[in-house]
Amino acid sequence: MERYTLKNGIKTIIKKNNNTPRTAVVLFSKLNKDEEKAGLYYLLTQMLFQGTKSRTSEELANELDENAIELNVEKKADYIRFKLLCLNEDINQALEIMQDIIENSTFNDFEKEIEKIKGEFEADLDSAKVKAQDEYYRTIFPNHAYGVGRNEILKAIGSITKEDLMSVYDDIKYSMQKNIVVVGDIDKEVIIPLLENHLGDLKVSDEQSERKELEPLTENVVSIVEKEDANQAQIFQGWRVPSVLSEDYPVLSLINTIMGASGLSSRLFLELREKQGLAYTVRSVNEPMGLGGHFFVYIGTEPKNIQVSINGFKKEMEKIMTEPVSDEELENAKNNAIGKRQFYYQTNLIEALTIGYYEFSGLGYDFEEKLINAIKLTTKEQIMAVASKYLSNNNALCVLAPKKYLEEANLIK
Amino acid sequence: MNNIKKIQVEYPYLEKPVEIYERECGHKIVFAYKKGALINISSWVKTGSINENDENNGISHFLEHLMFKGTSKHKAGEFDRILEARGAAVNAATWKDYTFYYVTIPQGSDDRNFKDTLELHSDMMLDPIVPEHEIGAPFDLNNPEIKTKRERHVVIEEIKMRKDQPWTQVYNQLNKNMYTSHPYRRDVIGTEQIISTIPRESILDYYKMHYTPNNITTIIVGDLNPEEVIPMVANAFDFKGRANKQNENYTIDKPTQETKYIESYSNINTGFLMFGYLGAKAVDTKASLVMEMLALILGQGQSSRLYQELIEKAEKQIFNVVATDYYHFRDGGNFMIEANFKPDDKDEAINLLKNQIKNLLENGITEQELRKAKKKLKCSFAANAETVSEIAETIGFYMTVCEKLECVNEYVQILENITLEEVKEIANEYLDLNKAVISVLMPEPYNRG
Repeated sequence: MERYTLKNGIKTIIKKNNNTPRTAVVLFSKLNKDEEKAGLYYLLTQMLFQGTKSRTSEELANELDENAIELNVEKKADYIRFKLLCLNEDINQALEIMQDIIENSTFNDFEKEIEKIKGEFEADLDSAKVKAQDEYYRTIFPNHAYGVGRNEILKAIGSITKEDLMSVYDDIKYSMQKNIVVVGDIDKEVIIPLLENHLGDLKVSDEQSERKELEPLTENVVSIVEKEDANQAQIFQGWRVPSVLSEDYPVLSLINTIMGASGLSSRLFLELREKQGLAYTVRSVNEPMGLGGHFFVYIGTEPKNIQVSINGFKKEMEKIMTEPVSDEELENAKNNAIGKRQFYYQTNLIEALTIGYYEFSGLGYDFEEKLINAIKLTTKEQIMAVASKYLSNNNALCVLAPKKYLEEANLIK
Repeated sequence: MNNIKKIQVEYPYLEKPVEIYERECGHKIVFAYKKGALINISSWVKTGSINENDENNGISHFLEHLMFKGTSKHKAGEFDRILEARGAAVNAATWKDYTFYYVTIPQGSDDRNFKDTLELHSDMMLDPIVPEHEIGAPFDLNNPEIKTKRERHVVIEEIKMRKDQPWTQVYNQLNKNMYTSHPYRRDVIGTEQIISTIPRESILDYYKMHYTPNNITTIIVGDLNPEEVIPMVANAFDFKGRANKQNENYTIDKPTQETKYIESYSNINTGFLMFGYLGAKAVDTKASLVMEMLALILGQGQSSRLYQELIEKAEKQIFNVVATDYYHFRDGGNFMIEANFKPDDKDEAINLLKNQIKNLLENGITEQELRKAKKKLKCSFAANAETVSEIAETIGFYMTVCEKLECVNEYVQILENITLEEVKEIANEYLDLNKAVISVLMPEPYNRG
């Protein structure tokens, strides 16, 4: 892995993986402001494919597909991420297209794009799980950008103007902290001039973030979604955890492995699925973001099982906070967490995304090794202490089910 | 390695040819070299919903769940616990023509992970005990007093989960109506009624009938030496003289002779629809490849015809989503158009899609579209050679569904040489405008007229 700073100041990391036919390039742009209208950043990511000064949206789509170039722009909680993946021989052309959409997008016909997004989101929300998850995020991150989901965007996106779009587009071009990562069978001597040529006109800045801080949940919050024909209840329960920069992050990731992320041998899987037969899908997720994150548990279960599932979650959460894990379980969880990381790291794109995320978050591009060491050194006492520190706090519970079952579970009075 | 027949097959984007070993008992072992820190061990069994009937529909998938419930040597949960404790990803999947079980695990600094994985995996494949208490007693779905819930309930939850997915609902209706007699018409997961009552004996009988040496291919992918590995695999898979199975042949249904329209309803706000056509047998590499190309040109990606014509350039926004897919099946694939639309515009949505097919059949595709399809399919081979699990899955598919890995190479050669005329000819053979099955899922209020 080599580090390099482009002439415009963008920190770049290059990792050469021999004998891989596709090269991945990732550009992170940090969000320093919350969007004034829900959906603005998402609309921007979609509009970047709607045409430039020299290419119509159709020409752009054709050129990408004809060359099997995968170029995506995604809005995440803390950044906008450009992902590029192409056969090694097409890297110059791929970077030129990426440059074109970053520098020369025209944003014509954006009202039509808004209608497209509305339609796509309405279709997504016909899925019970998506609907419940959307509501869960709103509940765990109330009045914060992290909690903005499809429903909020549907309400606000119609008020976005072209000026709003141009303003955030300028932010990408002329400010925002940026990082680039390249992973593939490509030499530094080849890729650096290409990056200078195609991304050298971008500007970076170190301006302070104006984003709203997360406020703690002051009480347990319950939200419900009534869906009369649901065959399963969708249950999400989450607790707030610190940002990815916290020293507790490696311990929380290990707690996640033990609770519900290790596959078929995690506690929630064994207890709620294997022993009680309550669900096909049950799991936990630890999602640490820049300003703070959340740890949540999820189950999809027959509606009459709502209370027994919530009780099951409670029992497992109490256990992890009060009973030390055995030496064997701790060792197994460590090996699982570390081994899974190798599994995850198999493709150039995933490697680029992970390295880029570490660097961009301030953890450093070589954080993977530090994370593995921290996981190895975690003790059972730390597991209990960190679990108690965060998972005994106020939580957000979101349940989707037919009304009758929400009433039976005392979620509607 | 006496009595083992070995052949080599060139495989795109892999450093070395793939090696296929066929043992005297009929069991096949495939080895693919892939440099890296992970190894993948999987076994593919030629059984799926194709082997089922109205009485046991869902049994292949239920058995797949129950295979993880212990052997004479290892009790339930041990397999998962031991392997996941070493960082493995462990799982299985069932589809119409096959069921497969896999472990992807870090190779480690010695051969311990390989040996132990092989021991656990082969033991699971050869000696599942399927304990009654893990299956759970048969029960009445309408009895609310059932307290002890075991694997039957897990699968029933999976069925319920799928019932809440609009795309699955519309697909199941489509699939059921695309066939009159072929077993493909049944949903792979089965029904709640069957899963709640099917006896253990039937499950064990099914295992004995289908998990035979000639029905199983074991695939090893990783940075390993085949001369060391193949004898170990052959040794671990000791079938102890287990009898082989004669594979059944099913007559594929003729395509529907007129457009068949099915409408169902759900508590949703948008409309979902699928057009379905019967395609070529998987082993017909050329026709299968062309069907894949047509799916790509018609509805995959933002440059596709349906996306450009019906979403990007549409004056009236009727469609929220349009896409196409081609599923390869042994006895004949499925070509599908999928769309989400504004429910008030249902009739127009259907007509617009029909017009697109009509145009395709009359005018064929362009040189530019052919070039694009060739490049994208070539690139998907590169993508499928990036991870040990994807390499294993591609090999497993060709070995099990096409019954010959050489299809991979035929595929690449046909891809290079296919012409515009051939594409048009095959499109007209399979996508007859008046022989589609159309399944539509509409919001409830439309049911009331």
